[in-house]
Amino acid sequence: MSGCPYFQRKFVSTSKQNLKEDESDDSQIGVNKASKGDLIYGDYLQLDKIVTSQVLQSELKGNKIHDEHLFIVTHQAYELWFKQVLWELDSVREIFISGHVRDERNMLKVNTRIHRIVMIFRLLLDQFAVLETMTALDFYDFREYLSPASGFQSLQFRLLENKIGVPHNQRVPYNRRHYRDNFGDQESEQLLHSEQEPTMLQLVEQWLERTPGLEEDGFNFWGKLETNIFEGLRREKEKIEQKPASEIKEEMMAELIKQRDIFLSLFDEKRHDHLVSTGQRRLSYKALQGALMIYFYREEPRFQVPFQLLTSLMDIDTLMTKWRYNHVCMVHRMIGSKAGTGGSSGYQYLRSTVSDRYKVFVDLFNLATFLVPREWIPKMDPSEHTFLYMAECCDSSYCSSSDDSD
Amino acid sequence: MSGCPFLGRKYPLFTSKPSQAEEEDESQKGINKATKGGIVYGEYLQLDKVLNAQVLQSQEKGNKIHDEHLFIVTHQAYELWFKQILWELDSVRHLFIKKHVRDERNMLKVVSRIHRITMIFKLLVEQFVVLETMTALDFFEFREYLSSASGFQSLQFRLLEAKIGVADHLRVPYNRQHYKDNFHGQESETLLSTEQEPTLLQLVEQWLERTPGLEKDGFNFWGKLQANIEEGLKMEKHKLEQMEDSEVKQDLLADLNKQIEIFTALFDPKRHEHLLSKGERRLSYKALQGALMINFYREEPRFQVPFQLLTALMEIDMLMTKWRYNHVCMVHRMIGSKAGTGGSSGYHYLRSTVSDRYKVFVDLFNLATFLVPHAWMPKLNPNVHKFPYMAECYDSSYNSYSSEDSD
Repeated sequence: MSGCPYFQRKFVSTSKQNLKEDESDDSQIGVNKASKGDLIYGDYLQLDKIVTSQVLQSELKGNKIHDEHLFIVTHQAYELWFKQVLWELDSVREIFISGHVRDERNMLKVNTRIHRIVMIFRLLLDQFAVLETMTALDFYDFREYLSPASGFQSLQFRLLENKIGVPHNQRVPYNRRHYRDNFGDQESEQLLHSEQEPTMLQLVEQWLERTPGLEEDGFNFWGKLETNIFEGLRREKEKIEQKPASEIKEEMMAELIKQRDIFLSLFDEKRHDHLVSTGQRRLSYKALQGALMIYFYREEPRFQVPFQLLTSLMDIDTLMTKWRYNHVCMVHRMIGSKAGTGGSSGYQYLRSTVSDRYKVFVDLFNLATFLVPREWIPKMDPSEHTFLYMAECCDSSYCSSSDDSD
Repeated sequence: MSGCPFLGRKYPLFTSKPSQAEEEDESQKGINKATKGGIVYGEYLQLDKVLNAQVLQSQEKGNKIHDEHLFIVTHQAYELWFKQILWELDSVRHLFIKKHVRDERNMLKVVSRIHRITMIFKLLVEQFVVLETMTALDFFEFREYLSSASGFQSLQFRLLEAKIGVADHLRVPYNRQHYKDNFHGQESETLLSTEQEPTLLQLVEQWLERTPGLEKDGFNFWGKLQANIEEGLKMEKHKLEQMEDSEVKQDLLADLNKQIEIFTALFDPKRHEHLLSKGERRLSYKALQGALMINFYREEPRFQVPFQLLTALMEIDMLMTKWRYNHVCMVHRMIGSKAGTGGSSGYHYLRSTVSDRYKVFVDLFNLATFLVPHAWMPKLNPNVHKFPYMAECYDSSYNSYSSEDSD
């Protein structure tokens, strides 16, 4: 059915339309319910709180600056959406923590909510363009009245970082030293909890370790993959060696050796553990295997939604780092190289946070290093390897309309 | 200067020892000021109010539905931005009402703020995709707890429509009869007093009527334009008539006759009045002339920013109508053809509001009907016609730093 209002000329503006109304028109039928008591919009949304919380410091200090209102509203909108993101994130973490995620019927919900977080982040990125309609000159007129308030004191932003999985020891030093100092006792406790409770990263790691097909006494994905890859590389080497000597042959050989070194590192568990200790890798070795398995077999029914989940997790990282970068660029325009109101070096500090240190699911990105031709991927036999099609068992506590709807 | 943080390996992706040797880095210098008293972020933004305003009706009624939180937050975000739009809109209307706009140095502020409104509207249109992550099935689970709360009761939305210039008598009937019934007491009064104040449309109309160059005893833009167009059309007709008879010639002549009709209508003030009474035109005849003048001479220094203003006003109309249409599509997905919580026919009612009746600056769009070749535009003589280059006089009350003006 066409959604177009002008389809079949039903709602076209014609000269006769304006004053003589078709009272019999379906669209005009209805009864105004608001006059019947009950909940109304403004009360439902507690607008009396929301719409009266814009108090301009410049006005309080006797020098009302127009643009300060935009500054306030923009930040309040960000915080509203941060609250929503935390709502979704906590509900997903709870599904993992409680073990309900083992009932694979819950995966749709998990995926949908993580994807929703992605959509919200996209909006938050677009939101910068609105604040950028304020010039540095206009900002200068009221900035003095803000001190020492600073985004550094946004509790929700820190909770968000922690619950996704930004590790404390990876934060840039200024942040590491001071980030909790910004908060009073109660908020500081909340922050501490968020550091100690299972993060999205940890929960996803455990889930990945349980990927069906990894069992060494079962499908043994990793063992088979290693065999296939080195067999494949060996054949490639032979083919190249048979070529007549030439510069191209040299280059191809060098390329092959590089490839081989990459894969040797992949199957070197000690090397992996070393990289985890330096913070360059974040997932356990087993979890990495699970992720690669999901990538390679993403079209198998049981892995389709898990694959979407991994993609959305990378989207979150990408969007968060773009958010940081957008923020940096805007701050640079607004205050040049002056210090931040919270006391940091401002632009310089923010720039240092646009870094892979803050990328939580960095391992998923790096999996692209280890892609192989389709033929090297261990083959499945549907009659034998049924784990790809059928979920294990349904959790007895599962119920679509239970208070799982948190 | 490259903004890339990785240029010059200043902040490399991987270092073997992340925790050493960074303490001396410029970026890590600073002191934490928050511990020294003074207003902090959360207080400045009154987050204790903003972040404690989400109460799920489904939870109150003992059946907490997860997606209701998204529903609430989305609407609250819309209302926050409506407030911001009203802040900008009122400040611009104020500049016109107080006549400060006659000092053309204020035009930059006017255009910047109207443009800011369009940027906010763009965000509001983009915001739909977030709510669209909720399925109709999920919505169905908590919709009953909303009972009669409805967007129909959004005061700020109505204030917005009224202040821009949506005409009461052009609203679709259900809306006309009922939209004010939704408000009581203080809110109703606010709405009524807003309707008494000059709308953006009216203020822009008066401003357009003052466009320099319209004076009949001066440049006389309209008189000259009419003469040029009639002459131009006459010459076109003459050229065509000299062609050999053919079907092409017939087609071209038919087109020309259509053109002649269009321009005859343009220069007919009575016809304009008639269309005004029907609501198909909204600006006065003189204001229309001013708008066409600004369009034709938009590159003259004095008209450049005014032209940007007219463009931004059309942008507002476009974005509002896109907003309405996006809303319709989403509602259709969510409730099919069921009635709205506020009592209207729901989808059908909303669809009827996606219409030119709600387009405030419709005349600016329609100017495109009357474009003419450059050669037909009355020529300006810089020695005689100084008005496109020099502003009249400065308003003595103008002062970029005065606190009243910075509203």
